[in-house]
Amino acid sequence: MIKLWAAVVGFAAILAAPSAAMAQEKSAVRPGFVLKPGSAKILLFRPKISVGAQSTGGMFEPNADWTAQARENLSAALDEAQAHLGNRVVAAAEPVGPAAQTLAAYQSLFSVVAESVIEYQFFKGNRLPTKKRKGEFDWTVGPGVAALGQGTGCDYALFLVTDDHYGSTGRKVLQVFAALARVPVAVGVHKGFAGLIDLRTGDLVWLNADLQMGGDVRSQAGAAKRMGQLLADFPGRPIVTESSSEGK
Amino acid sequence: MRIGRSLAIAAGVAGSALTPSALIAETKPTLPPYAGAYEPQTVDERGVWMQADEDERGLRDSQFLINDPALSAYVRAVLCRTVGADRCRGVRLYIERVPAFNATMAPNGTLRVWTGMLLRLRNEAELAAVLAHEFAHFERRHSLAEYRHNRGATDVMAWAGLIGGAVSSTVFNAALLSIPAFSRAEETEADMLSARYIAAAGYDVRCFADVWARLMDEADATALGRHQRSRRYDRVAFFASHPTNLDRAIYLRDFAARQPIGGDTGQDAWSAALTPWRAGLLADQLKLNDFGGTEYVLGQLGADGWSEDLLFARAELYRTRGNPRDLVTAANLYRQAIAIDPAHVDSYRGLGLALIRSGDAESGRAALRRYLYLAPGADDASMLASLLS
Repeated sequence: MIKLWAAVVGFAAILAAPSAAMAQEKSAVRPGFVLKPGSAKILLFRPKISVGAQSTGGMFEPNADWTAQARENLSAALDEAQAHLGNRVVAAAEPVGPAAQTLAAYQSLFSVVAESVIEYQFFKGNRLPTKKRKGEFDWTVGPGVAALGQGTGCDYALFLVTDDHYGSTGRKVLQVFAALARVPVAVGVHKGFAGLIDLRTGDLVWLNADLQMGGDVRSQAGAAKRMGQLLADFPGRPIVTESSSEGK
Repeated sequence: MRIGRSLAIAAGVAGSALTPSALIAETKPTLPPYAGAYEPQTVDERGVWMQADEDERGLRDSQFLINDPALSAYVRAVLCRTVGADRCRGVRLYIERVPAFNATMAPNGTLRVWTGMLLRLRNEAELAAVLAHEFAHFERRHSLAEYRHNRGATDVMAWAGLIGGAVSSTVFNAALLSIPAFSRAEETEADMLSARYIAAAGYDVRCFADVWARLMDEADATALGRHQRSRRYDRVAFFASHPTNLDRAIYLRDFAARQPIGGDTGQDAWSAALTPWRAGLLADQLKLNDFGGTEYVLGQLGADGWSEDLLFARAELYRTRGNPRDLVTAANLYRQAIAIDPAHVDSYRGLGLALIRSGDAESGRAALRRYLYLAPGADDASMLASLLS
């Protein structure tokens, strides 16, 4: 019995199942939504960025230096990409008191809504009956979100989340040996999502979620590529940064 | 992944021979983690601190925090008395509104205390013991050591799992079981260090073992109430991260027996600080829908006499279960609460509802009228008024 259990746990640890991202849609825009180019002022909330290594056994090894680099690189890449679009991105100030509570609550709510979109709309096999109509994209965090934009003059709020586990040397060696034994071992986790919320209505107007992203966020060029992917299909107009084309 | 050590209640056997932690070269840090403006040193430590810092940013603005200056100051004062003023300075205390028994400490000095624990502890010495236990995890960098151990163990497991064969499977199992075993060893170390802290601070050491004894009884009561089999305390589950509560009660009693008799329980200060909170904590406990466990907790709290808030909570417990006999019990308990405190407004509401549901509409309406007279601005005033017409 214990052996069986151990085998199960071990199997999971080794495989770290390749994600089901293949069969999945990656982005959607609310029907009828258009962002006039060069017009929007966008409020950016502190991106959730986590960068580290993946140990031989598949554990996440958080790395503070890489995360700090990624934060800097992604911020610069975002400014550049939005300048291309003609939009202005304003980093939100860290509020205090009740405003901080409201912001924390909306950040959590955004994560929950974004995860629900990925699970119940982007993943076709699991699509909710109310989300099945073609072209439908109807998600909201509620009009209360307007409180976050008060006094900033911003029309939209942008949320960014990235999570990167870079395969360690040990993990890569394990992958090679495992491949000889015909056992698939996944190296690395590179997930990210970005969403745009209308600050007047609370509607989620655009969401892009990719569970297998490219671009090494630890370098400036890689971060620019990652940002290009995160902002692919950003409403307004097609993004032109060359690095955003294809390839992971 | 969430890194942090907790006090959690869990069933948990001493482990295996394999110690992957031996594979890791340990560098001796120069400063303790609680030193002022301490910066984490190695790549691993900086990583786990970064995660803890990110978590704490969210926690600081959480709507589940109880930001009461008096309560926070009291809990902090108990921590500082127990571990010393210089040590407690590096700790940020957060009281979270969660109706379960736990406290956790993150590697960067974030101390979380759950309100369900504040409801269940009986005196200041018990609180001191729990806080000192969490502090011991922080002081000894247990989260970091556990993280390194687990990484080493899962590395061994990955290779052993791939190679296969009888020897490999033994190695695999040994590595797997070393993970919870390592965790239990840390818990025991933290228990023993905290017992020494509370003894040095002049608290009654015997209190710590009592905490675990009561938690076992409560778990039994919950299991009985839900018609489930109770946990076993004499055997340890292979994957348990904590020693069994029975183990903890036994080794802590053993330690206490070797200390001089006496010590401060801090009963009066505890009551003064927590009494204003008790009604709210009881209301949260009632919402757990755990009849057996809640009845046990109330019985423990009422051991030294039943006050109106305890009687009211017990009445609510019975009224919400709602069997006809429960409504009779509830009505009696509400009446006892009113007898102690004729101005206990919520008891009139509960009494009224219980009586109307029991078929005694006349007395029930009278009680509701009394409620509406005493609390005309209550949230549910108009709804209850409709029952009177």
